[in-house]
Amino acid sequence: MVLVLVEQSDGKAIDPSLQTLTLARSFGQPVHALLVGSATDLTQHGVAVAHIAEHVALGAYAPDAWAAILNQLAVQLNASAVLAAGTDRGNEVMARFAARTGLALAANCISVAPGPPVTVTRLRWGGSLLEEARFNSERALITVAPHAVPIELSSMPADIEPFAPDLTGQDLLVRVVEHVAASGGGVSLTEARVVVSGGRGVGSREGFTMIEELAGLLGAAVGCSRAVTSAGWRPHTDQVGQTGTKVAPEVYIACGISGATQHMAGCKGAKRILAINSDAQAPIMSSADYAVVGDLKEIVPAISAEIRAGRAQGALNELR
Amino acid sequence: MSPSAAVALATLLIVSGALFARRALLLYRLVRMGKPAARFGDVPARAKAEAVVVVGQSKLLQRLLPGAMHAAIFWGFLVLFPTIAIAMIGTVDPHGTLPWLGAQGWYTLLVDVFALLVLLGVVAAFVIRKVQRPKRFVGSHIGEADLILAMIAGIVCTLLLWHASQIALGLNDYPASWAPISGALAKVLHGPLVPYLERAAVWAHVLIILSFLVYLPYSKHLHIVVAAFNVYFGRTRARGRLEPIEFDKAEEEVRFGSARVTDMTWKQTLDTMSCTECGRCQDVCPAYATGKALSPKLLIMAIRDQMMAEGPKVLASSGSYAPPPIVPNAVTDDVVWDCVTCGACVRECPVGIEHIDHVIDLRRNLVMVESRFPEEAGTMLRDVDRSSNPWGRPQADRTHWAEGLGVRVLQPGDPAPDVLFWVGCAPAFDDRARLGAVSTAKLMLAAGVDFAILGPREACTGDPARRMGDEYTYQRLAGQNVGTLNGAGVKKIVTTCPHCFNTIGNEYPDFGGGYEVVHHTEFLAELVRDGRLAPLPSERTITYHDSCYLARHNDVRSQPRELVAAVGKPIEMARNRERTFCCGAGGARMWMEEKRGRPINHERVREAAETGAETLAVACPFCTVMLDDGVRETGAKLQVIDLATLLAEAVEKRKAKETS
Repeated sequence: MVLVLVEQSDGKAIDPSLQTLTLARSFGQPVHALLVGSATDLTQHGVAVAHIAEHVALGAYAPDAWAAILNQLAVQLNASAVLAAGTDRGNEVMARFAARTGLALAANCISVAPGPPVTVTRLRWGGSLLEEARFNSERALITVAPHAVPIELSSMPADIEPFAPDLTGQDLLVRVVEHVAASGGGVSLTEARVVVSGGRGVGSREGFTMIEELAGLLGAAVGCSRAVTSAGWRPHTDQVGQTGTKVAPEVYIACGISGATQHMAGCKGAKRILAINSDAQAPIMSSADYAVVGDLKEIVPAISAEIRAGRAQGALNELR
Repeated sequence: MSPSAAVALATLLIVSGALFARRALLLYRLVRMGKPAARFGDVPARAKAEAVVVVGQSKLLQRLLPGAMHAAIFWGFLVLFPTIAIAMIGTVDPHGTLPWLGAQGWYTLLVDVFALLVLLGVVAAFVIRKVQRPKRFVGSHIGEADLILAMIAGIVCTLLLWHASQIALGLNDYPASWAPISGALAKVLHGPLVPYLERAAVWAHVLIILSFLVYLPYSKHLHIVVAAFNVYFGRTRARGRLEPIEFDKAEEEVRFGSARVTDMTWKQTLDTMSCTECGRCQDVCPAYATGKALSPKLLIMAIRDQMMAEGPKVLASSGSYAPPPIVPNAVTDDVVWDCVTCGACVRECPVGIEHIDHVIDLRRNLVMVESRFPEEAGTMLRDVDRSSNPWGRPQADRTHWAEGLGVRVLQPGDPAPDVLFWVGCAPAFDDRARLGAVSTAKLMLAAGVDFAILGPREACTGDPARRMGDEYTYQRLAGQNVGTLNGAGVKKIVTTCPHCFNTIGNEYPDFGGGYEVVHHTEFLAELVRDGRLAPLPSERTITYHDSCYLARHNDVRSQPRELVAAVGKPIEMARNRERTFCCGAGGARMWMEEKRGRPINHERVREAAETGAETLAVACPFCTVMLDDGVRETGAKLQVIDLATLLAEAVEKRKAKETS
């Protein structure tokens, strides 16, 4: 049998774990799942047995503890392979598992063949090379490249079995004690549905106050062009472009950005681009779905004022 | 003849010779430990380099005072070399000398004059080091150099003193009338102590020389011996060419760049041993000049120091000991990624060190083995590999720039045109870079040139991937493009991009592609010369920015200037031609964030603005983008325009004038 670590988020198995379950079935052996702390429905994913690890200390994520549980369960079940999704957690737990047992770990796999020996194909060089690798160890440890394998459903009633691991204080040395939101509290660039971006046309570090204001009103993230980070007005983390962040929002509002190729490479995934620029010949005008030719220092505050006025009106109407 | 003196000299020779040989053998074994490098053959080119760079001191003489200083000492040592033997004979027998040469008047004169020149050289060296204190010495071992200069001064002073006392005592076999300096010195030597002075001078002379011999291989002055070899084994093929990795070799023989000093080629080890820490490379390095982590001098010194510390352990363990990786133990990752591969350091180096090869080998290892590189460049590597261009744009859009121009797109099976216009990714996809290509196409059409483009069949040459160290992606693209070009029967290629120009012309031959590759500035200058294009010059003042991959790596310097002169009034920047200063985009830096130091493009734009020119002419799509950004960011009053666009405007003007 093969054992798969299934990660959960909000009580549901995450997609990369479901992809891992799909890949695990290609071993042609019964697939067992390990869920830490709480159960979730895996009946559509071909899982024969779902083991629910329960322990008083498992309320918070503790990578060594998870690695210890995986190892104990794998030994008890005599698993031929142990798989996890190649997520941050999956990689961390499997690396610790491999280190504490001396077993070989292949990361970033996209296909497996049962063997023996177990053979995997994995991504190298940022996905530009495929590597074929063979395992020489008694138990193959594998992480699966996220989003490389499509989820295939397979109906099977999973038996649910509790598992009581034997954990020591050593296993709990590293654990999550607190979650703190990222400073700034803003919306992340990659996930934002709306991005308001400023370029050299914003004119100064202080000029970004109006960009931030509009972004705040729209629930949007603030982005910027390379010229802005070069000038030191915004941190590099805000930069949208070829050498910055790639964004794919519903709406991308480019204020005072000329639209150099380097920048457009970062926002070409946007569904709609709205450009505000004083230069009607700027390259961004030809890529934009909507363009406003004019001084952004007048236009951006005017849009903000309009949104505020509309909201105030809406609130008044509600009161009435 | 004194037997006790003979015994003393023999003992000294054996001891110093043994000490020298012991160290020399270790150095030799370290070099032999290196991986293979194809640096044999091409004997005439190597002999020429030896004559020009070593004997002729050409690279040193680029800087007047330090060059003259070094040449005086170097040529002095060549002339004075036989005096070592003469002095050794002199220690044993005060009346003896070398047969024939020791009695020649002309040689006596030469020795006197060159001894003085060496002394002047040493004084100049002290002035440079103690008074001028140029910045290029930052990070060099100053104390070591002082000791060596003192020894050189000692050698020459004792020689002159010995000759003077010989003349005073009448021990000279050579005519005293041919010795103006030691002869004059002899006139002030009187009294009973002169015979002792004569003995003391000759023994001191020999002792200093022998200590010098022993100290030499432990010091940076090893270059006296090694540099001549390093220059001899320098590159003889195109300067812009990188050595390909041979992936089809047996797996254990493929060298994925250098992780450790044991992975370097023997030439690279010889490079490190040749370094005298003179800092000429550091002085011209754009990364160093703008406050970044890289100094080419400190890079080579750091690799040398690691080789000297770890190499002997490897030899002692018969190869089983693996020294720590060069990055980050000898140099940091930042140092490796700061390089723009502009080649200024390589061009400047008087002892033939090839810094770029070291940087590329370190990058190859970091990228292909460690997968460790500035993450923002990952997009470029992926898109070059998957989409055949660095911006991930659809290949079908490659011809958008040419819409409405009437440019022929070569279809499979079409007869080959006279000239294939290799457009390059930047002109095809970047709005600013596009203008140069549009103008070139218009000019070729106007001149009636039979040309075509490959359109969607053109893929990135792979150059940015190769300069990043991703040799695998490069070779795949090179193979693909060579297949397309050979299949189309292409003989002659014109390109506006110096990076495409360099890699197709200098590197594609390694993958079966042999074409005549011409840069558009060369091609257009020829059309102007032949009268097929007639521009009307204007009063516009133009300063031309030489691209590294044109002016330095490929010696294209005069044709762009012909074009500048044909369209306006040229003004040169301080750093021009082969000593140009990079725009900051080379070596795949275009695809990395410039997080350290000041922006290189600002530095260059400021230099251009200082000329007072209205126009900054460029001949490279990447220089266009970098310098245009620099002009916008610094607010300089300059227009950045490709030479082809300037020429097209001037040709239009002539036409308009003639029709009106």
